[in-house]
Amino acid sequence: MKGLMYGIILYIVLLLPSVISLMEKFIVTHMLLQMPLLLISGVLIGDFVTKKCPSFFEKWNGSGIPGMTLVYIVTMYWMLPRAMDEALLIHFVNVFKYVSFPFLVGIPLRDSWPRLSGLAKGFVIFNYIPMFGVMAWLYIDAPIQLCNNYLESEQKILGWGFFTLMFCMLFYILQNVFIDHSAE
Amino acid sequence: MRMEKGKSTIIQQLIIAAMMIILMMGFGVLMLLQQGGVVDFGPAAFYQFLTIHGTGMIGGAVLAATAIMWYFLNKYVKLSLSVLKLNIVLFVLGVVMIIVGVFAFEFSGSWTFLYPLPAISSGAWGTAGALTYLIGLQLVGLGLLIVLLDAGRAIIQKYGSLGKGLGWDVITGKKREQDAPPAAVVASTMVVIVDTAALLSGTIVIFMNIIHVINPAFTFDPLLAKNLTFAFGHILANSTIYMAVIAVYEILSRSTGRPWKSNKAFLIAWTMSTLFTMIVYPHHLLQDTVMPTWALIVGQVLSFANGLPVLVITAYGALMIVYKSGIKWRMGSSLIFLSMFGWTAGVIPAILDSAIMVNHVMHNTKWVPGHFHMYMGLGVIAMLFGFMYYLVQNDQSIRPNQLDRFAFCLYTLSILGVSFSFLTSGAISTPRKFATHFEQWQAPAIFGGVSGIFLMIAIGIFIIYFIRYMVNRNKDFSVEKEIA
Repeated sequence: MKGLMYGIILYIVLLLPSVISLMEKFIVTHMLLQMPLLLISGVLIGDFVTKKCPSFFEKWNGSGIPGMTLVYIVTMYWMLPRAMDEALLIHFVNVFKYVSFPFLVGIPLRDSWPRLSGLAKGFVIFNYIPMFGVMAWLYIDAPIQLCNNYLESEQKILGWGFFTLMFCMLFYILQNVFIDHSAE
Repeated sequence: MRMEKGKSTIIQQLIIAAMMIILMMGFGVLMLLQQGGVVDFGPAAFYQFLTIHGTGMIGGAVLAATAIMWYFLNKYVKLSLSVLKLNIVLFVLGVVMIIVGVFAFEFSGSWTFLYPLPAISSGAWGTAGALTYLIGLQLVGLGLLIVLLDAGRAIIQKYGSLGKGLGWDVITGKKREQDAPPAAVVASTMVVIVDTAALLSGTIVIFMNIIHVINPAFTFDPLLAKNLTFAFGHILANSTIYMAVIAVYEILSRSTGRPWKSNKAFLIAWTMSTLFTMIVYPHHLLQDTVMPTWALIVGQVLSFANGLPVLVITAYGALMIVYKSGIKWRMGSSLIFLSMFGWTAGVIPAILDSAIMVNHVMHNTKWVPGHFHMYMGLGVIAMLFGFMYYLVQNDQSIRPNQLDRFAFCLYTLSILGVSFSFLTSGAISTPRKFATHFEQWQAPAIFGGVSGIFLMIAIGIFIIYFIRYMVNRNKDFSVEKEIA
């Protein structure tokens, strides 16, 4: 219940106009702060939802792969620079952002992750590492403005944000494969 | 007769790889004959052949080497057979896409697909060709990544960590040498580490190329792209020998009845090679003057050092394990022993070329294909077919005959012929990747082409032996079914 409460509070806070305006002011906070926070709110809510409807998730997401596929599709869509512009300019795309991250990414991720095998988890992580690498390179190196609503200098900051994210994931993987798991 | 788990899939994988290798040899022969002025397909076809030959040879070698690694590693840790099968499916899909890209859409940007070439073809190929090729390549890499992740998972599950898979606890004295992981596990751990790093680099640069092909307005730093491309290509091609060398450890130790022990020197050598293999690729960029000098120096120094630890330990180990062992030389063990010569001899021109001063003169000549044809052709390919004969030899009554022994001699002489034709061309400053040659450059190319034809005959005989085995095995199975 605590998770649900925190998730809802976080979601409501993220829906406050002043918070929205602050988050969407810079592309780096829009993409690397607002969107992950929406996702986290979904994960927190997901704990309650998956326990409430176990048969639904068992039936549709028994292996965790359908849920993870949904997570992939939605997150990949939101990595497109065009999607960022549309979220600011087209109302229903913006609504979709607030619905998709908690409910189509957060909740399925919460349900799918424990169901995935070690191999599948590794596969997911090793897909996001190059994806973030590509995004980092794209935003840092592209000689043109990728989003109409954000300056070229801001997109470079976002690129370095993605690079940091990729580096952290790599570091996590490295420490994970080199520490001793014999006791587990 | 019941087959052990996964052997049937391994055999399928080897057949696909062997067929690919002989087909790619055919393209290689055609290229040499064109350079020699014997046939004329035109430059466009030459570059298509060059692209498919390079990609297909590395792809085939990786597929077969993966089979070797999986087969022996599975004896020590629990691997997933479904993952191996998925790899074959993804590989075949990827190869089909690459073939379509090269021959239907005429992509001929070479296996290096060096940015920004895929998008700037001067009308030689279009967006569809470049995209089909790059996505096909990505699918092949994806299949391999899954196999590597599964191998890494299984090694960690059994030994605790990848560090322990490399025997670091033995090196540091926390564990006795007798308890060190087997050679196959050590080599597989190294391959998991270096190939995963290679595939991550490759995926990033392939996707950047895809974005550039779709919209050329998105341009990127070409030097970073070249670094990532060679970090991918060099490591992947280099690692085939580290996967295939597992066959040397396992087959020679079984053939001589002597165990191949993982002592401290062996473990240190593999750890050094793990590190070096990942950082020596700048020797491909020695002519890029904009590269930082320190990176080029690292590339040169570590290239000298890279081949030596594992090679010396393995070559010395192979000689010692065979010496006075009373080994009965069969096709499998003979090919495996021959591969040690190929590997050792093949790195000599490579190490020469990695010296900056030599590289400035030799790197754009056929000296470079000379080294890797010897290293891959007489090293990796000999290990692959050695493994193939080994896999078959204990199973049933089919035995290699005089024809197989003749093929062994023919293979040795003809691959040496191919390699030396390239090295001779390099020595007389013949440029590589040129569709046509001046008359004075043509003789070694013709010699190489003819040697290549003999090589194809030898490899064809190896494959026929394998097919004979498959036919006999299927007969055995149908008899068993009838009895049941």
